[in-house]
Amino acid sequence: MSMLKQALSLWKNERNKKGTTLQRRLILFFICVTVSLVLAFSLLLMIFGITGKEERALHNFFDTELANIADNISDDFGSLSVDGINLAESMSAHANNFFDENDISAGDFLSRPELIEPMLSEQAHLLISMVNGRSCGGAFVLLDTTINPEGDNAEFARSGIFIKKTQPTSTQAVGVKMYYLRGPAQIARENNIELLGQWKMEYDTADQHFFADVLEQARQNPDLPLSRLYYWTGRVTLKDNSEAGFLLCVPLRSKDGTVFGLCGIEVSDRMFKSLYSPASDKYENAFAIAAPKGDDCIKTSSGIIAGNYYLTGNRMYEDLKYGEGISSFESFASSDINYGGKNVGIRLYPSDSPYETDRWEVAVLMHEKALQDAVSGNDKYLIVIIAILLLLSILSSVVISHHYLKPVTTAFESVRTNGYSDMDTMPYLEINDLFDFLAQRDREREEEFKQLESRHNDTKEEMAKARTRLSHLIDKKKKEVDPESYRLFLTSLKTLTKKEREVFELYMEGKSAKDIVDILGITENTLKFHNKNLYGKLGVNSRKELLLYAQIMREENKL
Amino acid sequence: MKKFLCSVIIIVLCLAGCAYSDKKVLDPENPVVINMWHNYGGEMQTTMDYLIDQFNGTVGKEEGIVINVTAISSSSELNKSLDMIVNDDPGAPDMPDIFTGYPKVAIQFQRKGMLADLKNYFTEEELEVYVDAFVEEGILDDGGLYVFPVAKSTEILYINRTLFDRFAKETGASYDDFSTFEGIAKLSKDYYLWTDAKTPGVANDGKQFFTADSWFNVAEVAMEQLGDSIFDEEGHVSPEGENYRYIFENFYWPAVEGGVAIHNGYSSDLSKTGDIVCSTGSSAGILFYGDTITYPDGTVEQAEYDMLPYPVFEGGRNIALQRGGGLMVAKTDEKTELAASVFIKWFADAEQNMKFISRTGYLPVTKQAFEEDMALHIEDMEEGSIKKMLTAVFSMYDGWEFFTAPNTVDFDDESSAYEQQFKEVLNKERAGFLNGEEISPETAFDKLKSM
Repeated sequence: MSMLKQALSLWKNERNKKGTTLQRRLILFFICVTVSLVLAFSLLLMIFGITGKEERALHNFFDTELANIADNISDDFGSLSVDGINLAESMSAHANNFFDENDISAGDFLSRPELIEPMLSEQAHLLISMVNGRSCGGAFVLLDTTINPEGDNAEFARSGIFIKKTQPTSTQAVGVKMYYLRGPAQIARENNIELLGQWKMEYDTADQHFFADVLEQARQNPDLPLSRLYYWTGRVTLKDNSEAGFLLCVPLRSKDGTVFGLCGIEVSDRMFKSLYSPASDKYENAFAIAAPKGDDCIKTSSGIIAGNYYLTGNRMYEDLKYGEGISSFESFASSDINYGGKNVGIRLYPSDSPYETDRWEVAVLMHEKALQDAVSGNDKYLIVIIAILLLLSILSSVVISHHYLKPVTTAFESVRTNGYSDMDTMPYLEINDLFDFLAQRDREREEEFKQLESRHNDTKEEMAKARTRLSHLIDKKKKEVDPESYRLFLTSLKTLTKKEREVFELYMEGKSAKDIVDILGITENTLKFHNKNLYGKLGVNSRKELLLYAQIMREENKL
Repeated sequence: MKKFLCSVIIIVLCLAGCAYSDKKVLDPENPVVINMWHNYGGEMQTTMDYLIDQFNGTVGKEEGIVINVTAISSSSELNKSLDMIVNDDPGAPDMPDIFTGYPKVAIQFQRKGMLADLKNYFTEEELEVYVDAFVEEGILDDGGLYVFPVAKSTEILYINRTLFDRFAKETGASYDDFSTFEGIAKLSKDYYLWTDAKTPGVANDGKQFFTADSWFNVAEVAMEQLGDSIFDEEGHVSPEGENYRYIFENFYWPAVEGGVAIHNGYSSDLSKTGDIVCSTGSSAGILFYGDTITYPDGTVEQAEYDMLPYPVFEGGRNIALQRGGGLMVAKTDEKTELAASVFIKWFADAEQNMKFISRTGYLPVTKQAFEEDMALHIEDMEEGSIKKMLTAVFSMYDGWEFFTAPNTVDFDDESSAYEQQFKEVLNKERAGFLNGEEISPETAFDKLKSM
């Protein structure tokens, strides 16, 4: 900093010493004006909200989409919960009739494998009706028993039916195709439902504890109605199935309070994607996700993604932790990717449900880079435009200054070379006036010059006359001295010492003996000593003779 | 000055040209949404969804096309809705912009001017890329191309090797018998008797051995194999004549006695539960067979499947059915039709075509994929059902003849009626047999003819 100050100070000193060029001053002036204008333009853009517009549009987008999607999910999941509860109540009622008809209790039923298929055969109609009647990925029932209690996997094998639907959001305009994922094959044949390639007769719940958890929760809360006992799983894939989804699980309870199974509805990946994708017309990278909420994260590994047409894949493999905000948006981070956007919590359970504290989150997100690109959006272009404007302003300042000053510099040059009188009329009135003024002054000076020249000639004539007179005078003086002595005087001058020469010169200048003593800082005796030597060497006998020779020599030198 | 004027005129003309062509071509900023119906459901849906997502994210994004699937269902379900549309029935859904179907469906739409002629969107050079026979199948009376082939299939014989080996080990049954329908009928009878004998105390509880996904397909192809036709001169289904009687009687006794399953549904469903040993069905049905047998008591057994060429009646020619429809494009506006044709070109392109067929069991439609890529692809494939299926199918394409059902308007109704009547007659005969009634193939044949 101090170096900069020193450099500035040096430059100022230099400038003050030399002055600055007119062109440089004009360019600086222009640059100041145009830069001020550009800055004022930028300020206006900011005041009128043109900069930062993209960020506000993004906020608006996220707010709107999040509100819509979260509302829709909340409403739809609520409505599915109600339908699931109704399904469970209907199935429980059918089961009660079945138990009565077979004169058994629900507890007995669980140990009578031969009754499983007849029971499921009746329940299948309710599932088919559910699948046909509403938007869903499928519907299912699971009984807490297996058809083969002696089988190797009896601990985890559970009987039931799972019917999938090809078009989760079908409006019934075109026939809906159903496929059979789980359940006794004979029931599928009775209902003309094709078996999927991944069909299995029974569920394998080995890695899917939520089934047992829901049953256990229902057993621990015998006084709660079914409407308080439903549970939404995170994204799960039934073993060997190719499609995943959220499963609504509602316990089945007989009239004696025995919890003998559960039923539910699936919100499949495909259904979620087709219903809850954010608008893709502007921000194609945005996607919505619904997932259970963790302590410091959204459990996105258990969530489903709904992107636009360009987003493939329905899941994230890691949970997203809440992070530092990106611009003014919320930030969510996995181990290698950051996302930004907005999120909101939704409630899926009523206040007195055992799952009451389970919270879900809905978020509309974008990849961090895409978000930042979208935020900078037009601002980036504006900055580029303003930079270009600045550059153009500086360039135009230089060019305009150059063109503006060209006549002036030409005029200066012509003044310098005295060619302005021959120049055509200049475009600037001031310069023409200046040229007229200079021409007038030139004329006056020319007149003065002529007068001076005349005077000079007169003086020269007078000088010539004076020289002639002087010549005559020298001749006259030469006649007064011995020519041989004067020649000796001239040749002997070279033999003088330095000090003698100084004394001689001072005599030549007309100094007195006293003056010479003072000037040379010598004594009178010393002077006398020098005089003696001087006179001897030059062949003179007195100071008067010395001065006479010296005067003749001086006059000769003048001629 | 002249140069300046010429330049101005050229620029103005170029700009005008651009403005004009912009109205015609696709615009990525304003994408056109193409509503699509297809029948690639079940196991195939994942692959179809993946490819459509891929298109939307790549070519579709660049060109301004979004494929939006609005219906996925079976061919028959789609046909019902398409029938409603073509007949302008009350409550008919909106016609999709692009849909899968067979030429017989296309005829109805084409006659009413509701289909786009795809020749307008494909050059001769572009069409030459596809197998000629597949393209010709989609050309209707007026010479226009209305059904574009995207995936084809034929019928083959699926054999549950696990069950058959068990049977052959004890009875000496030969794999060679699978080459003819007569041999299969014989095996069916033997298998029923062999399984029935496993429980001496229970009468008539033998197991079924064979079934067909479509008994009509068996009849129409078998007639062709025997040098005859199930269609009369006007193209109507007419199950008559000695050859047909021979075919009918071949399956009569095995069906009545229980060795042949007369089942409303796909053979793969019976196969999964070990209720049959072999069946004829579409090569594209491979994914529905699975790799296990689940028994009624819940036990599960791993199963190995073999696929063989379609059986042929003794003395008959090697003829099999060529199946698989194609994609049709509704006649709408130029932009929508163009967008649909761009998708079809992409989907039928060798690269995508191979992806689709290798995951679904369909056959490719481009010459390159069919004649070159496929053989290499089969070699590189992991051992498994799809490899076996493709090997069987490609052995058929070396010397076999392929029969394509006629494109008549009444074909669907008549073939469905035949299927239903054939099953009804044989199921009644089976019931009569179990009840000890007097039955015979002659009376049953007469019943079928009278229906």
